[in-house]
Amino acid sequence: MEKVGAVLVVGAGIGGSQTALDLGDAGFKVYLLESTTSIGGVMAQLDKTFPTNDCAMCIVSPKLVETGRHQNIDLSINCKILEVTGEAGNFTVKVLKKTLYVNMDKCTGCGVCGRACPVEAIDMFNEKLSKFAATSVKYPQAVPLVYAINKDYCIGCGICKGVCKANAVEYDLEDEIVELKVGGIVLAPGFDEYSPPEDNLYGYGKYKNVVTSIEFERILSASGPYAGKVLRPSDGDIPEKVAFLQCIGSRDFTGNGQPYCSSVCCMYTAKEAVIAHEHMHQIRPTIFSMDIRAFGKDFDKYIIRAQEEYGVRYIRSRISSINEDPETKDLLLKYETEDGKIIQENFEMVVLSVGLNPPDDAKYLADKFGIELNEYNFAKTDIFNPVQTTIPGIFVCGAFSSPKDIPETVTQASAAAGCVNTLLHEKRDTLITEKTLPPEIFVAGQPPRIGVFVCHCGVNIGGYVDVPQVVKYAKSLPNVVLADQNLYTCSADTQTIIKDKIKEYSLNRVIVASCTPRTHEPLFQETIREAGLNRYLFQMANIRDQCSWVHMNQYKEATEKSMDLVRMAVNKARNIQPLERIKLGVTPKTLVIGGGITGMVAALNFANQNFETFLVEKEKELGGFARNIYTTLEGGNVQAFLSDLIEKVNTHANIHVFTEAKIEIINGYIGNFKSAVFHGPEKTRAEFEHGVVVVATGAKEYEPNEFLYKTNDNVITQSEFEKVINTTDDIGNKKLIVMIQCVGSRNEEHPYCSKMCCAEAIKNAIVAKNQSPSTEIVILFRDIRTYGFKEKYYRMAREAGIVFIRYDEDNPPEIVPEGSKLRVNIVTPNKDTILINSDMVVLSVGIVAQKENNEELGKLLKVPLNDDNFFLEAHVKLRPVDFATEGVFVAGLAHCPKTIEDSISQANAAVSRACTILSKDEIEAEGKIGAIDPARCSGCGMCIDNCAYNAIELIEDRRFGTVAIINSALCKGCGACSGNCRCAAIDIAGFSSEQIYAMITGRL
Amino acid sequence: MTFEPKILGFLCNWCSYAGADLAGVSRIQYPPNMRVIRVMCSGRVDPVFIFKALLTGIDGVFVLGCHPGDCHYLEGNYEAEKKFIMVQKFLKIVDFDKRIRLDWVSASEGARFAQVVTEFIESIREQGPSPLSGENIDQELFNNLKAMENSVSSDRIRALVGRQRRITEVENEYGEKVPIDEYNAIFDGAIHDEFVRQRILLSLSTKVLSVKDLAAELKLDPSEILENMLTLKSRGDIDYQSIDGNTPLYMRI
Amino acid sequence: MTEPIVETTQSENKEWEPKIIAFLCNWCSYAGADLAGVSRIQYPPNIRIVRVPCSGRINAYFIIKSLTDGWDGVLISGCHPGDCHYISGNLVARRRFAILKELLEFFGIEPGRVNFMWASAAEGERFAVLVRKATEIVKKLGPNKKFEKKW
Repeated sequence: MEKVGAVLVVGAGIGGSQTALDLGDAGFKVYLLESTTSIGGVMAQLDKTFPTNDCAMCIVSPKLVETGRHQNIDLSINCKILEVTGEAGNFTVKVLKKTLYVNMDKCTGCGVCGRACPVEAIDMFNEKLSKFAATSVKYPQAVPLVYAINKDYCIGCGICKGVCKANAVEYDLEDEIVELKVGGIVLAPGFDEYSPPEDNLYGYGKYKNVVTSIEFERILSASGPYAGKVLRPSDGDIPEKVAFLQCIGSRDFTGNGQPYCSSVCCMYTAKEAVIAHEHMHQIRPTIFSMDIRAFGKDFDKYIIRAQEEYGVRYIRSRISSINEDPETKDLLLKYETEDGKIIQENFEMVVLSVGLNPPDDAKYLADKFGIELNEYNFAKTDIFNPVQTTIPGIFVCGAFSSPKDIPETVTQASAAAGCVNTLLHEKRDTLITEKTLPPEIFVAGQPPRIGVFVCHCGVNIGGYVDVPQVVKYAKSLPNVVLADQNLYTCSADTQTIIKDKIKEYSLNRVIVASCTPRTHEPLFQETIREAGLNRYLFQMANIRDQCSWVHMNQYKEATEKSMDLVRMAVNKARNIQPLERIKLGVTPKTLVIGGGITGMVAALNFANQNFETFLVEKEKELGGFARNIYTTLEGGNVQAFLSDLIEKVNTHANIHVFTEAKIEIINGYIGNFKSAVFHGPEKTRAEFEHGVVVVATGAKEYEPNEFLYKTNDNVITQSEFEKVINTTDDIGNKKLIVMIQCVGSRNEEHPYCSKMCCAEAIKNAIVAKNQSPSTEIVILFRDIRTYGFKEKYYRMAREAGIVFIRYDEDNPPEIVPEGSKLRVNIVTPNKDTILINSDMVVLSVGIVAQKENNEELGKLLKVPLNDDNFFLEAHVKLRPVDFATEGVFVAGLAHCPKTIEDSISQANAAVSRACTILSKDEIEAEGKIGAIDPARCSGCGMCIDNCAYNAIELIEDRRFGTVAIINSALCKGCGACSGNCRCAAIDIAGFSSEQIYAMITGRL
Repeated sequence: MTFEPKILGFLCNWCSYAGADLAGVSRIQYPPNMRVIRVMCSGRVDPVFIFKALLTGIDGVFVLGCHPGDCHYLEGNYEAEKKFIMVQKFLKIVDFDKRIRLDWVSASEGARFAQVVTEFIESIREQGPSPLSGENIDQELFNNLKAMENSVSSDRIRALVGRQRRITEVENEYGEKVPIDEYNAIFDGAIHDEFVRQRILLSLSTKVLSVKDLAAELKLDPSEILENMLTLKSRGDIDYQSIDGNTPLYMRI
Repeated sequence: MTEPIVETTQSENKEWEPKIIAFLCNWCSYAGADLAGVSRIQYPPNIRIVRVPCSGRINAYFIIKSLTDGWDGVLISGCHPGDCHYISGNLVARRRFAILKELLEFFGIEPGRVNFMWASAAEGERFAVLVRKATEIVKKLGPNKKFEKKW
């Protein structure tokens, strides 16, 4: 059957939205279906995100707006899947579009109907903490911003119809069934959180001051029911002592909850505790946990900060009962400390860190799409490709396949898009329409007519800055013909307002005073472009990140500063001019650095899409880190997978493999790189062009100096042990083996978790135990981090008789050789001393970055490293495989320690992100670049020395003689040349000297 | 001195007022305690009128209209009944609902007019003077009734009562009839909530208070007060004023 | 004790506050300033930030112009040496500023009125500390009256 160049994405949370954006950008038609009435999913409900404490709404909102306005994405809300037929490449999907009773084309989202509605319903977005009208929108910044009538609550009184000036309320709108033809399907329905049953142990539902973590998230949120104040539901007081109980409904083998670990709760609990304390300093959080599973990039550092900077108290215990004081509504918690003492402690509020369940409609979806679910009712996935369901052509991303956090979800979202790219690459650009923009309004020579939009950003600005005063001030400035305020200037409705105002007031410069241009400038530029203004006729005044948030207790000064910043922006705006973006060709070839599993998967997927690929490996052989791994914890045969992959890569016509290679140089820029490598035993030089770069250079095992490794033959590393059990029967004669976890991880030198060592140790321990049941195995750990479904194997290991003993970082085990034996001295956290006589000690060594390699490559590519010398992605949450430098991507262990499956996901994700570039014939370059005025240039050539991009050369001009000129395709617009030019001949568009002088001068 | 109730009567022009006239023409005697306000239809009796009257210290309010089906304006008396029931529901909260009455008297029922008026006067006489009359009025009751007056002025309550007949008896916008039980559940909830909210606003209009202060004043659970305060806050009626220790204080805007 | 949530009352006779203009490179220091915001790290409200693509873009004349125009202090921050998004823009800037610094001193501008520093995108806390420091130094120097027109 003929393949179709369209894709169905089910679920429009952050995962589904990312998949849709990737595929839309790569030239596919995307049908994005959402079951609720707006997109954004759970992330839109969150206050902040870990580990950076980024405001969730701030970072997700631009993405949602982009999704909502993307030319190739057809977004439908309130949908239900009815029937799916067909096969990979050509599916037919019948979809029920449930009516909103509001005409989406007419609704302006003004909200008059919601305010007039006499019915109050429970607000599910605010987790039942507040009330909502039957005619409502999910949250103020919702995309699409369309009100909908909830028929379950609506009494059909007709009031809203009466008040709607747009005549958008249409009670007779009917459900609609549509049939979609798509080539691939991505499922991203997310999760539902665990809801404690009636009569639960924790008194949830009975005691008012016991809330779930997602309810608490809304309590924390500035746009939540309590407007960012942390209050007790029982009496509205600020609680001082707040207890967080972890693993509610997770790691629960009693049948009340789920047996697996929900992966994200340890971190979100720490985050909620930190943010609660940050919001209200009197709050002293206590977290009751089993293990602290901070296994992701920079997670451990966050936990340490929570404890040291925010005074979060951790108690390792599961509470045994909660009772409410009927008078004060305080909660009395009873728990046993590690040393066996029973303690009763009073708390003013209790937060239940509830786990992640499969979505409620998982079975329905599985049935409709014909995919299998796993034992926990999550989507069953391929053992090595976590986004591949049991049906070809149907992919999954995010929490529907296993509980996971936002960056992993976003990675998988791109990974699923990557797989779709591979499946449907020949059908790109077959079903899409070009975005039609109105012609640009000619503004040159006209007097500036400036419009200033000042954002309240909820309370983020409005709470600390007198916004109305700033608006009044802006109005008084010369050339400002309009100044206005908005609650959220970034929301979809405000974009419409801005466009309307541009028209109404004939604006030819637009200023938004809100957050940072680093995240929001493109959004507003797009908006003014849609209104017919050149993108560059836009300015931002950063009055949030660099004003309201940093002067929270200085209302007057912050207001004054905001006014100054607005005036400076106005002064600049008066001088800005429209700019052209030049178009650049794209070389549809790729460079993949690193020939491990990650690099090979990426290379193979590029090659399968007919993109010629250059794969560079520094070793003699392909395979990388995985060569030391025999199986995965879940039983996947790594060696078989690896040799198959190597075979495919080596024989693929589109892949050029360079082994024993060293990169000499990488020149160029997005779409147009030119690189050279020396490779092979002869160090042959090869030169090639390519459009993108994927960094998949991996990492290495930590080489221990501690625990007598290197001096005692019976002390080996986990990977050496894995080799022993997989290739010999040697352990049969070992009576007792001790494994030590966190060797070279989570310490001062390497303050991060290596993520896979716990699983590795348990995997090898189980294999060893099966081989030699009489061998005793003891695992010494700090926290067992068998997150997600790996928890099952932890339990299995315990059931097999493997002994787990905990130690503290301050009291590491000691090894004393005694003859052929090794005596291991352990001091437990209760200060009990345990002596074990073992035959062998296995060190679970961590993963460390290849410092020198990474630094060198980082310099070649102009990409940064983090403190631990792993590569630093563009954004920890939402751009996990992108670098800030366009056209360069990162995947696998080079990014941070992770499992093979996660590395493969990242490889696919990098492919998808790269396809958004490679799929195009040309891309638009930045317009803010340098230009030299030949009339002023003296041709001294100093700028040539200053340019790091070799973008300047001297030419002979017919009129001016020897002058320098800038190659606008190579220029990045840094301005180093301009700052040094002796004749002031060089200026930088968008940051011209005239504009900056205007900002400096005219101070009141 | 014996108690002589003061009663206000709203009489519709076409039936009850004519009935009262007939009682006069026929010289039928009845107690002199009622003062009459003529309205064109009982449907004209705005719930606010009743509360305004009660707040002045009037001992009872009587609304009289045409018999069902006889309305000069076709259905005005049906609307009157819905509004009256709503007022009763409010007054029931403070056990004050027996001080108002609705009845039907036609233009030909002079005797019946005298009879129902006499009965109502007697009923009020038994209940005694209104706690809102005289020198020392019951301030709490006054506040409660004032809050109710504000509630019945609100869009929400007026929308619900105004559309009741159409959506429960004829058909709503979807061409369906809303079951009366379902409607009443929503209506009763709305009456209770709006009353509490108006009561909160009244208290906050003179002083700054916490959730717990208000709970004590209104003799309600603090969590319920909090919930209603959130709605008022989102409507922009109140805001945080300051924090006293760990207790946020609220003010009216 | 009742403490107002928003403090709006200001003492009448408060001490002089300098106004400082800051030129920050887009990729490191400006992002670091954003991070200080996201992390809600508080610092004095005396600075007004001008975003430039790179510290290399900062013309010596920007600084002189700022001083002649009456700003009390100038703060310049780029990526740490080696971190430049544009490879070496900050190194070019560093050379330029080294010379400029001597020139400014020659003019009689007090050292400390113009502060050069580095802050990365990950250093919100450091950025706040640097602003605090710079504000303090300029405050001690007092108002910038050198370029006041006296005729």
